[in-house]
Amino acid sequence: MIDPFQTLGVEARFDLDPDDLARRHRDLSRALHPDRYAGAPAAERRLSLSRAIEVNDAFRVLKDPIRRAEALLRRAGVPVGETAEPKPSPDLLMEMMERREELGDARRRKDLAAVHALADAIRLREREVLASMGRQFAVSDPDSTKLAAVLPELGELRYLRRFLDEASAIEEELSS
Amino acid sequence: MAYSEKVIEHYENPRNVGTLDKNDEHVGTGLVGAPACGDVMRLQIKVSDSGVIEDAKFKTFGCGSAIASSSLATEWLKGKTIDEAEQIKNSMIAEELHLPPVKIHCSVLAEDAIKSAIADFRSKQAAKKALAGQ
Repeated sequence: MIDPFQTLGVEARFDLDPDDLARRHRDLSRALHPDRYAGAPAAERRLSLSRAIEVNDAFRVLKDPIRRAEALLRRAGVPVGETAEPKPSPDLLMEMMERREELGDARRRKDLAAVHALADAIRLREREVLASMGRQFAVSDPDSTKLAAVLPELGELRYLRRFLDEASAIEEELSS
Repeated sequence: MAYSEKVIEHYENPRNVGTLDKNDEHVGTGLVGAPACGDVMRLQIKVSDSGVIEDAKFKTFGCGSAIASSSLATEWLKGKTIDEAEQIKNSMIAEELHLPPVKIHCSVLAEDAIKSAIADFRSKQAAKKALAGQ
């Protein structure tokens, strides 16, 4: 797999400056724009196009904290994905089950305010988890398999994201 | 990705959605999750004194395949003995629902949920016996 940090020429870290990231993406996209290669030989045109696609893919990965964390872990040789990660803690599962049921109840009652309140609480949690992951990534040697310690929080982040996706779909449904 | 007809059928008409009283000594509860996709699945069985599963309920927040896998699992569990229920394998669920390779983990989750519900029921029974033996 291609290293998205290398593709965009940014330092491999979790706490990336989003403005800097966007600037790198814009500069590279401009440099690789097909208009610049209009008169170039076919092989060169193809190459610049595939580079442009790579740059866009890398940007999408690095913009998303979940995929960015996964990319950092893969670089460090920590396996991520379905079977590789530790099972979620019973407490987290219990909590997510309860929150999702509350969300479903709020949807049935068409209680938009309750949906907002549930989503706000989870967004707050998401910020805390992101900050904690940032601290863990910052203190660990970026090439160490010790980074695996961040996996439970990455799992939690995915649960929170799932919840927020569901909540915004319901918000859209109830306000239309 | 296209879902099989059987997955869609279970997704649109899930069997046995609901809750059993988790404090009931006849009820075993399994709560499992897939961290890679943020799915959470609860599966409960109610076991008669003769060791037959007389009721099964589930609640799953996840993709269509995860919902279908747990729905099918509850259908299969009803009427089985605990020992028979333990023989249910994820491959049987995946085959019945024609799950594609990327969705096999949904059937693994359902098998985990069955095992964990049975384990919960057994630990309750063991606790009861220990208490009675005192």
